[in-house]
Amino acid sequence: MKSRTRAAWLFLSPTLLFYAVFLIFPVLSSLYLSFHEWNMLTPPLQAPNVGLANYRYIFSEDPVFKKALLNTFIYVVVTVPVSITLSVLLALMLSRKRRTGFYRLAFFLPTITPQIAVGMVWRYLYRPNYGLINTGLNAVGISSINWLNDPSTALLSIMITAVWAMIGTNLLVVDAGLKDIPDEYYEAASIDGAHGWQRFWHVTFPLLKPSLLFVFVTGTIAAWQVFDFIVAMTAPTLGKAGGPVNSTMTMVLYMYQTAFEYLKMGRASAMAYVLFIIVMVISLVQLRLFRRGGIESYY
Amino acid sequence: MSPVRISHLALPRLSQAAITVVLVVAAATMLLPFVWLALSALKTRAELVAVPPVWIPEVPQYQNFALVVRQVPLFRYYLNSFIVAGGISLSVLITSSMAGFALAKYQFPGRDLVFRGILATMMLPSFIFIIPVYYMMKHVPFAGGNDWAGVGGTGFLHSRLSLILPFAVSAWGIFLMRQFMLGIPDSLIDAARIDGASEMRILLGIMMPSVKPALATVGIFTFISQWNNLFWPLVVATSAPELATLTVGLKFLETSFDPNRNAHLILAGLTLGILPVMILFASLQRYYVKGISMTGIKG
Repeated sequence: MKSRTRAAWLFLSPTLLFYAVFLIFPVLSSLYLSFHEWNMLTPPLQAPNVGLANYRYIFSEDPVFKKALLNTFIYVVVTVPVSITLSVLLALMLSRKRRTGFYRLAFFLPTITPQIAVGMVWRYLYRPNYGLINTGLNAVGISSINWLNDPSTALLSIMITAVWAMIGTNLLVVDAGLKDIPDEYYEAASIDGAHGWQRFWHVTFPLLKPSLLFVFVTGTIAAWQVFDFIVAMTAPTLGKAGGPVNSTMTMVLYMYQTAFEYLKMGRASAMAYVLFIIVMVISLVQLRLFRRGGIESYY
Repeated sequence: MSPVRISHLALPRLSQAAITVVLVVAAATMLLPFVWLALSALKTRAELVAVPPVWIPEVPQYQNFALVVRQVPLFRYYLNSFIVAGGISLSVLITSSMAGFALAKYQFPGRDLVFRGILATMMLPSFIFIIPVYYMMKHVPFAGGNDWAGVGGTGFLHSRLSLILPFAVSAWGIFLMRQFMLGIPDSLIDAARIDGASEMRILLGIMMPSVKPALATVGIFTFISQWNNLFWPLVVATSAPELATLTVGLKFLETSFDPNRNAHLILAGLTLGILPVMILFASLQRYYVKGISMTGIKG
């Protein structure tokens, strides 16, 4: 028995070593750095301690950080629910079709394509003069929109692309969840006289909750870290990404620029911790909400 | 799915025709950017900016691809991506099967705590590690010209290890391998033990062959997601451009070609950039899809 316990720990040892070196240590180091002023050129232990100055700076003196926080928040609360709603509708429709291979392939192509490539292609589709989207709008009598170049529509443009690209993954999870619902439940509901929406609300939706929870939590975590789309769609050079006039600046992009362009590692670490805490709190709230919604009574 | 099942699914009654129309429009929306990209890669500059838009190039400009490859080291980027994504996948497969085996088939104090801890790391946003990990990579003792204190050289920063190591373990991979291994009967293991097999031999000789589909799923999923990774390779490539992966290389396309004059070449480069992972996905779709849907259900 003892030797088996030892074998188990041995099998776990590469993983645990990895987590110690690449997770626990860096997470604690980031916390330390967030209270220091550090440019990465000196040893971190010699970096001057500035207390809460980094946090104070980003919250009270840095308008770009506030803009990034707001933009990211808008991005999350729009793209996650919209893409999940669309994917649930599409999954329900797909479940009524017999041959779904072609549709599945179509919906998944955007999810396996690198976001940097997706974003770059869409930037050409958004071009103000001869971009395909404006050409289409003009054809139905709507005048051209200056999509990515106008601060009032730039973030919207990115969110449209993101939703387009996110549907596939969500669809797949929801689809698998739908297939897991036993036929008998629908038969029982039919015998009780449930139709259409009733069946959706009383059978499909509750049984789909674990899948919805999963896409909701993982989608939110990913959306708070949006980076690739912004880099791809807002500037040819990274230095100017997040424009026009910071209308598409997001948390991770600003953190990237603060750390690797301005070499303000302490400040960037403080931003990282702010984002970390936001993501943790939201994830925990989401998990609790769904649990109260009855996930455990079904699973 | 059987056609009987279809009638049970809840949606307000929509005719088959209406569903087909919605699905076809949705699928077309997904495919259109790709079709446009592939066609545009074969256009002349004039055709690309023509109003009204030209869909099919009059004479396909196959030399666009040659021009791109001559100017941008796409094959080096492919190779870098292949080595990095392949190295990470291999490492994830090894560490995940070992840890998954320990968590699925051994009873030992602390097991559930370790498992829950590993799952919890999925919620950690990855950027929180970036700054310390970058510094650690630069200051690995005795590597890349460093002395014993890790000072003086570039550490792992000019080696592909800097791209592979931070992703060498995957909580998702461990989770999935554990799920699959739970399904393998204990009697197989017990029989092997009676025959005197070592624990390592049980893992290699019994568990691994039984979970081949799981290995394929974890492998292909890890490979594609790492192939598409941008943030960390971009951080590393700022100091070591020779390590640029394909995602970073696609970003470089716009510094190699003037987007105003040579957009058709950028689009040709993007086409070449998207192609490999699409071919991979098309051939191994089954495993990829299984990867997403399994985590969704059990997540």
